[in-house]
Parts: sequence; structure tokens; C-alpha cells
Amino acid sequence: MKNGCMGKVLWVDLTRRQMHEEVIPESVYRTYLGGIGLAAYLLHDRIPEKADPLGSENILGFVSGLLTGTGSMFAGRWMVVGKSPLTGTWGDANCGGNFSPAIKRCGYDGIFFYGISDTPVYFCIQKGRAELREASQFWGKDTRDTEIQLKKEPGCRQARIACIGPAGEKRSLISGISNDNGRMAARSGLGAVMGSKRLKAVVLSGANRIECFDGSAVKALSRQCSDAVQSMPPFPPAFVLGYLGAVLRALPAQPKTEAIFLNTIYKIMLKRWGTSSLNQILIELGDSPIKNWKGSNEDFGSEKSARLNPDVFSDCVIVKYHCYACPLGCGGLYTKPGTFEEVHKPEYETVLALGGLCMNDDPESIFQMNDRLNRAGMDTISAGGAVAFAIECFEQGILSRKDTGGLDLRWGNSQAIMTLVDQMIRREGLGDLLADGVKIASERIRKGSEAYAVHAGGQELAMHDGRFDPGFAVHNCVEAAPGRHTIGSQLYYELFQLWEKVKGLPEPDWVYLKSSKYIPDKEKAVAAAACSRFMNIMNGAGTCLYGAMLGTQTFPFFEWLEAATGWGKSPEDYMEIGERIQTRKQLFNIKQGITPLNVKMTDRALGRPPLEAGANKGRSIPIEKLVSDYWHVSGWSPKTGHPTPETIRRLGVS
Amino acid sequence: MSFNISDKCIGCSVCKKICPMACITGERGKHHKIDEALCIECKACGYICPQSAVVDARNHFIERIRFRKNWPKPVIDKTRCISCVICLDSCPVGCLELSYTRDPADQKGFPLLADERTCIACEFCAADCPVNAIQMTGPAET
Repeated sequence: MKNGCMGKVLWVDLTRRQMHEEVIPESVYRTYLGGIGLAAYLLHDRIPEKADPLGSENILGFVSGLLTGTGSMFAGRWMVVGKSPLTGTWGDANCGGNFSPAIKRCGYDGIFFYGISDTPVYFCIQKGRAELREASQFWGKDTRDTEIQLKKEPGCRQARIACIGPAGEKRSLISGISNDNGRMAARSGLGAVMGSKRLKAVVLSGANRIECFDGSAVKALSRQCSDAVQSMPPFPPAFVLGYLGAVLRALPAQPKTEAIFLNTIYKIMLKRWGTSSLNQILIELGDSPIKNWKGSNEDFGSEKSARLNPDVFSDCVIVKYHCYACPLGCGGLYTKPGTFEEVHKPEYETVLALGGLCMNDDPESIFQMNDRLNRAGMDTISAGGAVAFAIECFEQGILSRKDTGGLDLRWGNSQAIMTLVDQMIRREGLGDLLADGVKIASERIRKGSEAYAVHAGGQELAMHDGRFDPGFAVHNCVEAAPGRHTIGSQLYYELFQLWEKVKGLPEPDWVYLKSSKYIPDKEKAVAAAACSRFMNIMNGAGTCLYGAMLGTQTFPFFEWLEAATGWGKSPEDYMEIGERIQTRKQLFNIKQGITPLNVKMTDRALGRPPLEAGANKGRSIPIEKLVSDYWHVSGWSPKTGHPTPETIRRLGVS
Repeated sequence: MSFNISDKCIGCSVCKKICPMACITGERGKHHKIDEALCIECKACGYICPQSAVVDARNHFIERIRFRKNWPKPVIDKTRCISCVICLDSCPVGCLELSYTRDPADQKGFPLLADERTCIACEFCAADCPVNAIQMTGPAET
């Protein structure tokens, strides 16, 4: 196909050890794109009602994006999809690395697994031949060792590998799937689905060419994007970012991101320090949750956050890590003699989840836990959330020293935190309880611990506070895969600058009062729905959120899609595709028996009761109204969250 | 569209050995055939064929280049390279690797032709590079 798509997917029956190809008509790509859209199209119908997420009827899919391999920049994301065992909803996890193009180079837009193998297996495509091979010898090995060992298998030297570690094998509901030695598709607990199928790894070697409508136009756009990304104006040292956060916090009004060149500042920060550039500035601003969401920037002040400043995590980097097709390179590999050899540096989410959330300011322990969790194949965000939950239960007397196996589980006790993380990986003692996430743990512990289990619909929240930006709270609740921080927020909407390309979208004022962020109105709902739709097409195209955050001037997303497909669609047409995908995923949840009204965030994270100190003091979020408004502008019932018959008909998703 | 093997084929099977897609079939001594569905048009079969028997998608015979050391090789312009690693992925034989100094003061990595003997001169790395940082150079004697 000359539109960036390979035109077919592969289905693998692990029970019968059979496989078959399915040709996907071009009309499906035109209405759902590839990636997450193609997955939503296929899985809605094929996963039966009330399917057991860890049973044979659940389907685990690995999908690549439509723009992957076309020459578009930032188009190296692959996605894992299926029904989440953690939330019972639609599950997806998105990851960079080098695996995404490998799916297409093997000739497929997606590879889907169903059934359960009776013994551990790995799936391999080599020279156009797909087969299942025994994996007993790899079972029990961590993600890094698994990759190293698999690459020694005949013909696998150059293979791209996605695999689970011991966490996925033990069906920890907060386990993910790793590629390229520790880049994790971590959310939704899909590592447990892979473990339940006894599928240790997917090993792909292929060299198919990926054709698109106008390759030279794609390349010209990429050149223009790359030139803009490479320019690096002078920028102050890292410690200034903390002060910048404090200054912005003190202002009663907020300038529009464009007014303070935030897209450019963001680019410089990511390129220079990676996501860890956000460590201090977001704590100061109030975006980073502290002390299991009950603390504030005052509890984790600059004397503590300075120990986790961006330089700590970037000075040891020996080479910048670029995912496939990325001109930015926000990752980094570091080596510490005697301990680490070329491992991925901790990202912002990891640092804050295992740092500020647990009041831990010991960077060495974060380096250690980051590596152990990546090797185990466990979500660092959820792991940090689970540890913080356990600490608060211990501090409140809900968990005794006997329950913790003698661990003195106090705020900031880095040794105890590391021990607990190890127990979670091995599913031992208290760790066994926490390895299935905070919701299940609190349901087992009870004694009022539910109030300390911070999640949305069962998914632990990422390190972005809805009390700072209520947009995060909205998307935590309304997305088909709840508790997701990578879809939208009021800040993201401003960074995306969608109004420049898509007609009818509201443009924020140049300066607005911070207090206005907490007042629901139609503009906010339209902006939130636009973020969802936009990220659906981004995930359909396999492109990276950080690219979109550079703004439409630098990141010509709709133009790339047009150059790659030649479909003659307008940005509005593509946004309608995003709306279709969103509605399809919502219908998936309803088919699986999910009541959208019941997908809720923990009260504490909504400011109920409000914090008494710090950046978010006194703030609470009118989430019911914000969610209802979102449902309304999405063409779903504002009372139930069910897509209306008219919307279903208009989008053709019945 | 795909490459074909003309009647000049003597069935020596060298093309079969070099094809990265394993899409050439044929018994030794007999006419060989390219599977159109799998061929990626890398030209390796054409460069190696002693009879210059391979015909490209435009129906032109591909001239043999004697000795692999004479095949064009990618040369990377580090001043242009953005380390996006597209070239590493485009290479059907995996002959490019990321090279770097291991010095925290110089954190940029570049592609490097790690295994010259494996390179099949397909030029995909140069064609796919978004910033034209790769040129194919070499004696290319026929």
C-alpha cells in the first residue's frame, strides 16, 4: 500500500499454535488510521463481553503507527493493546524504542495474540517466516538478560525484541512490556496479560520497505522539523529551573504558553536534560504530587528537590538515547562502574514516583530502583504509587511492623523503600499484596486504607496533579484507559496549538487568572475533547507526545499524514477519526460492562479535602461537571457517558 | 513491481545466498526466481550476479560489480547527522551500529558502518536519511 500502511495484520493462536494473516481493507485505515485506531476497530468486536483479562479470550496486540517508517520524525511509538487486568477497561500502553518499525518491516501493521500456550514460548519472525519457539530457558530471566540471550539465538542478532520480565511472568497487575533494554510499555498492566499467555517475548527481524504516497514531501517536512529541533538557543543551568517554577507559582495569573515561548523552552529542556528537566520545576509549580498526594512543595522543598535536580540524572549519561526517528533524543544511557552498564536513565515519572511521592530524596536509591523495575518489567509509576500507599498505611497504623515483615516503612526511608520494591518484584510478603496495584491492595487491607489508595478506575495516577491543572483530572476519568497523563491537560492543549490548524477550536487568552482554570465551561470541555481526539490520531500514527508539544509550527503532523497517505483529508477530517477512535474505545468499555460513572479518581487527588498548604492550597476540582461537559461535547450522554445513538450513527461505529 | 532474473541465469545460487529477504529460490544449475511479494529491491542479487542476469523494476539489467570491497559504501556526515537512527533500522542486514565516545562531555551518538563485509550497498540508509547525512561512495568498478 502506498499510504504508509502494510495492509495486513497477523493473528496468533497460542493455544493451538496456529497463525493466520488478515488483510485489512484501505477503508479501515481511512476511518481508523493504524496503531491504536486499528486496534480499537479490531478488538471491540473480537474480545467477547466480560472477557477474563488473564484468560484465553483476551487478545494482546502489538501495533505500529501509520507514520512509522515513512520518514516522518517522532514516529517511533508502538502500542500494546488488550483488555486491562488492572482496570477491567480498554487497556493500552505506549512506548518508544526501536520495536515499532520492526512490526512493519515484518510486513504487518499489528500482531495479535490470543489463547494461552501450555508452555512458555516466544514468537519470532525471521526472513518472512513466523513461528512460536520454546522459551522455557528464558522464563525467569529479567528483560535485559532476556534480550541479550535472545539475540544469541540463530538469526536473531539484529532482532527487535519486546519481552516481559519476572513481574509479567508472575502476573503482577502493574507489569509492563519492555523493548530495547528497558523502555517500557508500562501502563494498564498488559505485561500480566502477556505473562498469562506464557508469551515471553516477541522477536522481530524484517526488512520490508514501507511505502508512502509522497516520500519526498514527507522527507522535506522532516527536514524542516529537524532543523527547528536542532537549534539550541542559550539556556541557564538546571538549578534555575527550580527558581523559575517558584516565580511562576507566585504569579496570580498565567501567561499563555506561546506568550512565554514555552514550546521552545520545553524543547531545550527535553533535548538537554530529558524528562528529568521537569524534576524541580514541576515540584515548585505544584504539578508533582508529594507524600502520596497529601503533601505539597513545602514538604519537599528546594533543599530536598535539589538532590534530584536534572543534572544529577543527566551528568552520568554517556550517550543520548534516541527512539526510532527522533531528532530530539530525550533519553540517555548511563554507566556507573561496578553497578550499571549502559542502562536507561530514570525519567521524570520514575524520579517523582519513587522520590517525592515517597518523600525519598536519595538519588542513588532511585537509580537502583529504576534499573531493578525496568529489569523486572514493572511500571515505575504504579510501583511508586504502591510504595507511597504502603508507607502511609504504616504511618497511620493500618499496617503493622509485622505486616511489613519488620520494615520500618517511614516517609523517605530509602532502604526500606528499596526492600519493598524488591519484594514487589519477587511477590514476597507485603510486596505480593502491592504487586497488583493500590486499589486491589486497599480492598484486601481495608481498615480505611481505601482513602490512601490514589488511582483512577484502578490505575495508579502519574506524577501530574489535577489540582494544579484540572485537565489532568478530566483525562484521568474520561479516557477509556483511565488514569492516563499522556492524553491531555489545559497545558497540553496550549502546547499543541491545535487552533492554528483545526477550525473551530478555542484559542486561550494571552494571560488569564489561575483561578479561572477551576471553573468548568464549554471551552474547557471542547479543548479536552480535542486533546483526546488529537492523541488518538497521534497514537494511530505512532507519533510521540513530545513532538506535538513543540507546537504546530515545528511539528507538521497533519501535513505528514497527508504526504504519507495522499487521502486529501483536512485536519478536521483527521480529528473526526480521533473522535471515532475515542467513541469506539468507550463502546468497548460499555460492552465489557464498565459503567463510566464508576470510573472515579480518589477524592484526595481531586482536592477533597483541599490541601492546607503549598502550591495547590485550597484547590478542589469540580470533576463531576468537568466530566459531564466532556461527555456532552463528545456526543455522549452527559449523564451516563454512553455514546448517543446519533453519535454512533454519525461516526459509523456501530 | 519487483526484480526479476533473466534467462542469462546459470543457477550458481550466489544471489540466493546474499538475498536479505531469502526470497530467491531455485536449484543449483537451474534458473532462479525472485518472489515478487517479498523482494525489497535492494539490488544485492544484481551486484553479485556473475552473469548480470538480474533485471530491476524498470526492466534494466543491473551491472555486476566485481568484488564486494568495490561496492558503494555509506559514509556518514557527522555534521549533518541528527542521531535519529532511521538508518540503523533501514539497513536490511544490520551492518550499521551506533558509535559514541562514552565520554559524558560528548553524549552524541552516530551511526557507524560496523561491518563492511555485510553491507550490500542497497543505499536504503542514504535514501531514508531525513537530513541527507549519508552518501554512498566507493570505487564502484564494474
